[in-house]
Amino acid sequence: MAQTGKAGALAQSKNGKKKAEHKPKPRPVISPAMLPMQGISEVHTPDGTFLQRNDAMFTAMKHTQGEFSDFFRALRDEGKVLGHRCPGCRHLIIPPFMRRCPACNFVDMQKEYVKDTGIMVATPVITVFAPSRFKGQEPFGTGRVFLETADGKLSDTAMLVRVRTTRGTIRPGIYKKGTPVKIAFCDSRQGEMLDIFAVPQNELTPQQLAKSPLFESEIEWGRLSETEFGKPTPQLQKILQEVRAHFQELAEMIPQSPRATANLANWRRTVTIRTGGGTFGLVLIDGELQVRKEGVKDPDLILAIQDPTILLTWLRDSTEPVGDSVKSPALTDLVIEGTLILNKPELETVTRLDRVPRSLRRDNVAVARSVKPHRQTP
Amino acid sequence: MKDVAIIGAGMTPCRSRWVEKTFWELAQMAVSEAVHDAGIHINEVEAGVAGIYNDIFEFQAIPESGFQGIIGLQNKPLMRVTNGGATGAYAMLAAHNMVASGQHDLVLVVGVEKALDCYDYEAESNTPAVVQTIGYSWDPWFERPLGAHASESYAEVIQAYMDEHPGDLAPMARAKIVELLCEHAQNNPYAQRLGEKVTADQVLHSRYVVYPVRVLETCVYTEGACALIFASAEMAQKIRERTGREPIWLTGTGAANEPYFVGNDITRYKVLHRIYSDHVATKKALQMARINIEDVQVIELHDAFIPQLMITLAEMGVVPLGRANDLVEEGIIMPGGKLLVNPSGGLVFGGHFVGGSNMMSTWSAMREMRARDLEHGLIHGTGASLSMYGVAMVLERRA
Repeated sequence: MAQTGKAGALAQSKNGKKKAEHKPKPRPVISPAMLPMQGISEVHTPDGTFLQRNDAMFTAMKHTQGEFSDFFRALRDEGKVLGHRCPGCRHLIIPPFMRRCPACNFVDMQKEYVKDTGIMVATPVITVFAPSRFKGQEPFGTGRVFLETADGKLSDTAMLVRVRTTRGTIRPGIYKKGTPVKIAFCDSRQGEMLDIFAVPQNELTPQQLAKSPLFESEIEWGRLSETEFGKPTPQLQKILQEVRAHFQELAEMIPQSPRATANLANWRRTVTIRTGGGTFGLVLIDGELQVRKEGVKDPDLILAIQDPTILLTWLRDSTEPVGDSVKSPALTDLVIEGTLILNKPELETVTRLDRVPRSLRRDNVAVARSVKPHRQTP
Repeated sequence: MKDVAIIGAGMTPCRSRWVEKTFWELAQMAVSEAVHDAGIHINEVEAGVAGIYNDIFEFQAIPESGFQGIIGLQNKPLMRVTNGGATGAYAMLAAHNMVASGQHDLVLVVGVEKALDCYDYEAESNTPAVVQTIGYSWDPWFERPLGAHASESYAEVIQAYMDEHPGDLAPMARAKIVELLCEHAQNNPYAQRLGEKVTADQVLHSRYVVYPVRVLETCVYTEGACALIFASAEMAQKIRERTGREPIWLTGTGAANEPYFVGNDITRYKVLHRIYSDHVATKKALQMARINIEDVQVIELHDAFIPQLMITLAEMGVVPLGRANDLVEEGIIMPGGKLLVNPSGGLVFGGHFVGGSNMMSTWSAMREMRARDLEHGLIHGTGASLSMYGVAMVLERRA
């Protein structure tokens, strides 16, 4: 494998020919939207009024990768994972987080490449609510992998990686402890941990499995065969009508609730919802929700759910004065549990919709209305 | 080592946000309460330890520097301790050692934290910024860039434990513990969630934060402070003659930090399905106190997450590993059971002001030991990536 020392130099197309180098547009480290404007505001409490000042605690960095530079360079330029092996105890560590083995009284460790195949140490976890700097990436899975070594064993330490699936968004059941995985490489790499991710070996073809390094663009993504529901049954069609009617009701309630309007503010998405009872559409435009009888053309997001009754339960919790007896799981939970499938990892739209029912209750909009069942969506 | 007594404790109420107060004021409030509780003058205190977890939460590097005059320790030694979630317990360990070594007879330990001044201007919410701030505790090369954060990290341990022990940490057992701690918290006048009622059913229907952990199974973010006064046996005796009040004795301490990276060899790496630090720390503390876990009647345990509380109790030896459901199903920690766990409501309901949460646990255990006439209590602190820091301390009542 050629070593060019340039970011993304190994990017290849499916036919093996080298593609033009990806040069991602530089982005600011901190999103401008996260930067506060100067100002002082007042907070009123039962004990009085107190001042709070807009501020930030930041230090810009040119943060050294130091002795880890070789590891990150190997990811970026060679498409390989580098470990360190102790000549004394023969332990092989990934990532190569230290250069001397303390168990052998700090004998120098040696560089050694590991394979790009291995197993999950444990079932990965799935982040639904992310820290500020990872907002927009949810849901994402993270887990630890032991990688195979040249001597046919596994590394002695495990490396934390993002775990992905070719079949929609990450959800439980795809990975478990011991699942065989392959490390794949992003086409465009910076020399950082997000340059790589794990894919279950059983989602890859023998050819993909045999190829090293395997690039993101060589994998077939977005296979949502689970969302082809066949011909709708009359029963599910009827339920879908109710779902549409309740969504319409929800759309009419939102303008009456400042909180619910705020939940959907500054957000624009066209959404197609596919169910076992048929398809319909939602359009979110800056605080407003519109319902479409059919799916939206070229939607920003596709949601797929076999049983529309589940959506109906969520809607009833949203539009009826249920008080404390909320029984429906949150939409985010339906995504995480794999009941509601997204065509891409973008949870923000669903998270915003999830906030609406509570807002309607807090603004007493839900209590003030009652929903007539079976009303046809206009 | 010399015997160490705890002769006074002071708390501020726990709140999600104290917009009314800075961390200077919170620290002073707690110290003032503690010296009055102990029946001493602050001038009698010889040295201090400040537990403050995170500079960013306080919006100041070396945040303890402003305390020196405020808490009355001018021209005396004050050491700041920061050890992740276990900061409070480690600060207490430092204060204990200062007295046990014979260097000082009267030492103040104060733990304080802000959190909710952090604000995400993009999301227009505090929470993502607080989570991000805690996320800065992960290493900047390998794990933080992947989005590692506290819930994700603890969830990894919980999930790995469930892989190892399928069926344990059952959802209903977890939910019932939440319900129990909510009830306990109603007896804690300083609890953040005083007046709240959370049922097991609500827990089972609450959202996932990080799969497989639900939002009602997690600790809260808290602002507050707690202070304790540690004394040598001679000093404790003198003060008892003055106040007529029996101290609580700190008879055992243990601490252990697991390695950062995961592997199979528990002597060299973190084994993901264990919280081995809790096991080692508890064993050491019990050995030092010359008691067994069965002798402990109240445990104030650092419950960052309810499933972690269950694993920790198993690591402590209350139940075998893999049998944590017994805590609920056998009624061990339930009302009328043989072990009282987190009568303060724990960090989930009482509050988690990181620098001082474990001191709140101590305040609560002392209170319960006196009120219920209990002989032995156990305090626990955990923290850092994958729950790798562990501290345990045995309390004894000799009255």
